[in-house]
Amino acid sequence: MKICFAFAAAFLLCATARASDHGPVFSYATPVNSQGEFSFDSGVFGRYGSTGTQLSTGSQIGYGITPQLTFTAFVPATFGSGSLPETRIFPGGEWSAAASWRFLHSVTQVGKRIEATGTAGLVVPGPQTDSGILGQLARAPGLTSNMAAGVASRSHYFWIGGGYTWFPERNGSRRPDTVSWSTVYGYRPPKLRRGLDQWDYRGLLELTGEHTGDVRVHNALVPDSRSTSLWLGPAVLAIFKDVAIEAGVQGPLHRDVSTSVYGREIVRFALNFSYLKYSSRASAH
Amino acid sequence: MKTALFVSLLALFPLAANAEYEKVDMTVFGMDCAPCAHAIHVSMKGITGVDNVDVDLNTGLVSIQLTPGNVATMHQFNEAVERNGFTHKDAKIVAKGRITGTASAPVLEVTGTEDKYALAASAGAPNAASFLGKTVTVTGVLPQVAKGKIPDALRYAAITEAQ
Repeated sequence: MKICFAFAAAFLLCATARASDHGPVFSYATPVNSQGEFSFDSGVFGRYGSTGTQLSTGSQIGYGITPQLTFTAFVPATFGSGSLPETRIFPGGEWSAAASWRFLHSVTQVGKRIEATGTAGLVVPGPQTDSGILGQLARAPGLTSNMAAGVASRSHYFWIGGGYTWFPERNGSRRPDTVSWSTVYGYRPPKLRRGLDQWDYRGLLELTGEHTGDVRVHNALVPDSRSTSLWLGPAVLAIFKDVAIEAGVQGPLHRDVSTSVYGREIVRFALNFSYLKYSSRASAH
Repeated sequence: MKTALFVSLLALFPLAANAEYEKVDMTVFGMDCAPCAHAIHVSMKGITGVDNVDVDLNTGLVSIQLTPGNVATMHQFNEAVERNGFTHKDAKIVAKGRITGTASAPVLEVTGTEDKYALAASAGAPNAASFLGKTVTVTGVLPQVAKGKIPDALRYAAITEAQ
């Protein structure tokens, strides 16, 4: 019984808002798993600022229930002591589990598809405490949702997305609600539009932004704890059959963040490895 | 009794061996990257009787070569595409089967399967009615159909009596 409960809890307590496997590394995107496909992601995500560095490693597993419905679970670990603003678009220390539904799927020609995906999930604080101002909070589980839409083709990729994460109050503390958004453009040059047995590369330019609300500690709002920031940077995706490697870096384009509370966050970077395990199960006629 | 059973089996086997898809070239929409092609490749290879699969991302063409005596069906090929979230368009096939139906409405029965197609001749194609009751090899195009369905009709370009 305990094992069943632990398994159920592990499945339920976990979600992601981040694009998985062979999409952009920072932004929201639409791809979901094939039916019966498992995807495994593991990455390192870093934020460097004047108050220190925060590193996260995360592992995500996804499973395609149908071609349009995918479940994902994300288990992270964080290191470092940077007093940085809340972020939901960038992996932090929360466990999460989510379901993604591709509700629009339109194929118009060879190699091209237009689609939109909605995701809803649960975010649960991990065993590690946050640093800085967020480390003072009694953390409660939150709810997250996001939506992404875009077009993918052999040459061009374009996605826009937005998300919202809500946290309830616990013991007089409340984590800030977070609004996140992203736009990403990708391009694969003609020379790199190659076959199945060769490495496939794609260059991406990712613009992400977030607004975090007030932080509440001991029934009082922390002054200047709101933040708004925009980040821009390149990323590269390399794929070979069922393996994908993504790497990217972002710098601040706009910051409306209190340096006395959070310091100056200077750079974000990510390196992600994906393995895609497709199902070969065929129906009997 | 055993001899009778053996003779019955011998009589049945040639039918199955002569009734099969030999080659299927499907156009698939929606594949934009290598994992898409790999997913289709893995799914098609999972169908019993599939010998070789080539996927061309730039043309969307999925070429499936099948082993002699296979009993793979169009439903399986289409489902392999649908499970991966893609859309199948026209499919050019080479298949062996028996011509049944009537002279005015000939039908190709791929008798190793339950697949049946009403035959419609392309320009310059021979008259299928002259092959009634015979086992033939047909080359033709199956049109796109909705997900979960298989086409009713095959527009054939060539038809020859099978050896």
